[in-house]
Amino acid sequence: MSDRRRHGLVLLLVLGLLAASAVAIALKPTLLGLDLKGGVQLTYQAMPTPQTPKVDQAALNDTVSILESRVNQFGVSNATVQTEGGSLIVVSLPDVHNLTRAENQIGSTAQLEFYDWEKNAILPDGQSVASQLPLQNPKAVKISQGAAGVAPGDPGTGGMPLYQAVKLASQQQPQTTNTKQLSRLGNEYFLFGAPGSQACTTAAKDEGTLPVKGQWCYLAGLNGDTKLKQLKSESLPKGVSFSQGTVLTVPQGWVVLQASNPTPTDTIKPTSPQAQYFVLRDHPALSGKQISNPTASSQNGEPIVQFGFKNGGAQAFQQVTANIAHRGQQLQIGSNPFFQHFAAALDGQLLSVPQIDYKQYPDGIVNTGSSTAGASIQGSFTTKSAQDLATQLRLGTLPVKLNRISEENISASLGASALHKALIAGAVGLGIVVLFLILYYRLLGLIATSTLIIYGIYFYALIKLIPITMSLAGIAGMILTIGVAADANIVIFERVKEEIRAGRSIRSGIATGYKKGLSAIMDANVVTIMVAFILFVLSTQSVQGFAFTLGIGTIVSLFTAVLATQAIMTTAGDSRLMARPSALGAGKPKRKITFDFMGMSRYFFTASGVILLVGAFAIGGKGLNFGIDFTSGTTATTTLVKPVSAARVSTIAKNAGAPEPTVVKVGSSGERYKISFKKGSPRVATNVRDALNSKIGIARTNSNNLDWNATSIGPTFGKTVANEAIIAIIAALAVIALYVALRFDRKFTIPVLIALMHDILITAGVYALIGRQVTVDTVAALLTILGYSLYDTIIVFDRVRENIPRMPRAAFSQIVNRSMSEVITRSLATTFCTLLPVLALVVFGDETLRDFGFALLVGVASGAYSSIFIASPVLTHWKEREPQFRHRRNRIVQQFGFVPAYATGAADVEPEQRRRRTRATLSEVGGEEVSAAEFEELKRQIAEEELESGGTSTLTRRMARTSEDELQETSAAPRRGRGRIRDGGDGDGGGAPPRPSRRSQRLRAEAAEAQRSGPAPVEEPSRPALDPAITEDDLASHPPAEDIEVDDDVTSSVEDEATDADVARRTDANGAPQGGEDGPTGGDGDGAPGHQEARGSDDRQRQRPKSQQQRRSRNRRHGRRR
Amino acid sequence: MGMLAWVMMGLAIWHFTIWLPDRYWGGIVGAFVGAVVGAIVVGLIIHGFTIPGTHDTTIATALEGIPGAVIGIGLVYAEGVRRERARDVATTG
Repeated sequence: MSDRRRHGLVLLLVLGLLAASAVAIALKPTLLGLDLKGGVQLTYQAMPTPQTPKVDQAALNDTVSILESRVNQFGVSNATVQTEGGSLIVVSLPDVHNLTRAENQIGSTAQLEFYDWEKNAILPDGQSVASQLPLQNPKAVKISQGAAGVAPGDPGTGGMPLYQAVKLASQQQPQTTNTKQLSRLGNEYFLFGAPGSQACTTAAKDEGTLPVKGQWCYLAGLNGDTKLKQLKSESLPKGVSFSQGTVLTVPQGWVVLQASNPTPTDTIKPTSPQAQYFVLRDHPALSGKQISNPTASSQNGEPIVQFGFKNGGAQAFQQVTANIAHRGQQLQIGSNPFFQHFAAALDGQLLSVPQIDYKQYPDGIVNTGSSTAGASIQGSFTTKSAQDLATQLRLGTLPVKLNRISEENISASLGASALHKALIAGAVGLGIVVLFLILYYRLLGLIATSTLIIYGIYFYALIKLIPITMSLAGIAGMILTIGVAADANIVIFERVKEEIRAGRSIRSGIATGYKKGLSAIMDANVVTIMVAFILFVLSTQSVQGFAFTLGIGTIVSLFTAVLATQAIMTTAGDSRLMARPSALGAGKPKRKITFDFMGMSRYFFTASGVILLVGAFAIGGKGLNFGIDFTSGTTATTTLVKPVSAARVSTIAKNAGAPEPTVVKVGSSGERYKISFKKGSPRVATNVRDALNSKIGIARTNSNNLDWNATSIGPTFGKTVANEAIIAIIAALAVIALYVALRFDRKFTIPVLIALMHDILITAGVYALIGRQVTVDTVAALLTILGYSLYDTIIVFDRVRENIPRMPRAAFSQIVNRSMSEVITRSLATTFCTLLPVLALVVFGDETLRDFGFALLVGVASGAYSSIFIASPVLTHWKEREPQFRHRRNRIVQQFGFVPAYATGAADVEPEQRRRRTRATLSEVGGEEVSAAEFEELKRQIAEEELESGGTSTLTRRMARTSEDELQETSAAPRRGRGRIRDGGDGDGGGAPPRPSRRSQRLRAEAAEAQRSGPAPVEEPSRPALDPAITEDDLASHPPAEDIEVDDDVTSSVEDEATDADVARRTDANGAPQGGEDGPTGGDGDGAPGHQEARGSDDRQRQRPKSQQQRRSRNRRHGRRR
Repeated sequence: MGMLAWVMMGLAIWHFTIWLPDRYWGGIVGAFVGAVVGAIVVGLIIHGFTIPGTHDTTIATALEGIPGAVIGIGLVYAEGVRRERARDVATTG
């Protein structure tokens, strides 16, 4: 298939996909995340339960399934329940603003147990209540019958503080038989602080309360820790260490249950000093698994939950109620009934303790078998909480216990504002990039702009089709990919311009530029995709959104840059638009960059060292300003109905229970405030909201909700985020190292990793220095810096890799210098192109986007810097320790006394081309293997050589009369061999090797004679006496033919190094100093050295007499290796 | 946080090794390893093998990274020189 047809088809494909994308965009809705739409997000950590001793993926999946059902029952559209890492579950509820109800509905384990109350409850002396009732023990009677006007099971009916209850339980004997009847397997552990201890003072301060004098204080354990390890891993109040507490163990077979709430609206926190507890033998009569069809109903105007039975529940219920009724009958004193009770407990708290009327049910409550018949629970319910409990019981008990570690409540107006700002940032970023591309690359810039638009349409369509829920983090990733997409074009454009400036035709320049730029783009993009994948798999949800869009965006940009841009360029290449190189910004050859990057690297290294020193002192002195994501606490943003002083808001918040609140005014309206305090409890946040609303008034949103956005983060969340970030960084580094080692060289890996470390630490140092807050978004940005910095470094290293075989005699610093000079424009342009949209994020984005943008701004700038001035010098220093590069360096130093920055007299060897698959690669334009400039230079060099030697070579004579066909033949000839002639390094090489002149043949004969006269040292070149008529340039420009065979005993595993070694040995044998590419003696104008140096081994082989080739074949057959 | 300060200090000190002749064992990468590992090890020794947390990290913590980095680099340099001499002896012998 011809190029034209293929590109036509690609264009058709691009247009077809555009049409399909337009349809998708028109028909499919865009899913907006919570941060753009408003709603509630709850993050839970799954903890083991007796039924699920280990939280594994199966348990998480079951939990997610039940939670999804609960969420659906909750009537929320587009809600999501996702697992994160190994133990986190994130529930996102768009458009939901009743946080308390959402929490109760979604996250409770819903483990329901029914107990024979008097039989199982025990007194402080350890005796059962039932055993003490016949003796009229007042404590037993109080627990059984309650106090005046207070039902049994409520506070004030014989319950005790948590410490006393746990202490009492800990003194009981564990039950090791009939364990199937137990609600919990294993012990349960608690941690308490001693009365008056520092731990209690610190814990009370953290809780925002005062320590209760003379009482032990709770520190940890209410999460149901069945292993000491779990207790140790539980988050303690800030400033309290595990060793400060005392561990108490509730043995298997015993439970500590919190008293029921006095009223539906008056709930008591389990850790509150006012909370009371009862100790029961863990012998439930039946569990929630044995009830069916729970429904919310009402009885005498009071909400109740009715249910039927299953799994033997009816019999068990009848049995236990019959036992209770019989006990009541036996305890009756005179005509006064002495009803006994049945306790229902949900997730460690009593729901109610109803009595069994033995007169009505002398044989217990018998289930009639109908769906509604059975029993009911009443007490402490509102209509909604009764409905919620019925729903939870219907959907089943969660297999794990959920510990809420963060919650976020975002108002719709804030989401809309964030989306608006994000769109502005994106549009501005795109606009600036487009402007830059058009100004700098002119027509190519227009093409890049069109492909960027195509990219944008594809990407948006994919977002709708997959579908991707757009979040602020995702939008940040999308804006960043604008830079990545532009960069792929820039890499190609710079290559194309190089080729055109070297004298190629525009069409040939495009084809060659694409061919050469493709590997760099592929490597860089593959690494970015890999990093995005790792981030997606290992990070938290906000980072995942970012990673996903980054990965998808990179894939799409790869498609548009590699296929669409090429097709458009190639098609346009035949048009008048691209008739002149200046239209592509490749008019006049620009002045060569001759900056000594490696020489100056010492100073840049020093600058980096100083920056890092300052950063290290800043880290030590000021530290990183961690946000509540890491320190735990609450941040709320609200708009008040009128402007008041921050101090007044602070006072109201403090009075509402917020410890040490910080209030700052945000925005320009003067009525918007951000309130932060170090406490993760949503209850306090709600109190603050209510207090502000009643005393000042909170503005309402369009949907008539209070404009109140609160985020509460528990201490575990920060730890989890940090741990996941560390794992993601290690995994990303490992994968990157592996990829670089495979694609490049093992020694390329370490400089890459050092540069990455440099970038991340410098970013951390800058954050410490300016005191900017570190949030989860900052972590995401830091992880992205990994990928982006690597992208930049790989582009540079790709050119180094390309130039190594091309410059077989140059010192490594010269190779790197030249590579740097070739890619510096691209590096600067692409960094500029990425920084522009990032800058737009910082300027126009909201707080989240600014967090992303700032970290990226520092990281991308540092990444560009480190790839040039850190990674490359480290690579240079390390590679120059290798014997072959040390040898080259020594040789050059011996010759000139120093190593020039650039190999000015260089002649390049075109490395062997891999066999090309016609379908998969770009084809070059026939007859232009050598660019016009290269061909002219070639002719000029040969002419100079002939002028110098006083004769006319056969080749010159041939060229003077050659036909076009003959020229094509000669230019095509080197492609068959391993090496090709290439001048000075700018061109692509190629062209026919000239036949040796008579003078060169004479020189070769002399060199061979010198070789035969004695072995020459390989490493240290000697300078034997020579014919004074022979100059160094002569030797350098006329390679002897026979000496190659003479030196065959020196081996080299590296093929291109073999070429170098051959040349070195050849000159050693002649005792002449080496000229050529890395010495100024054979400068560009000289031509002859380059001519000689460029000849690859196969070219020389072709020039050998037939007998020599036969001899060589013979040698090979005898196992001699070169 | 203390670990971050030490690593950062080690990396900072390593940057100045570019002014010394490259006789490190393992070259500039060997010097890098020496600087970072040295800074961490000496920091840990000073703090009794505990890592200072956010609130315990001060400028002094960052300074503690300096001797370790210098010692690490010095050891790598000394080993490099020793190996170089041994190689020279082997070559001439």
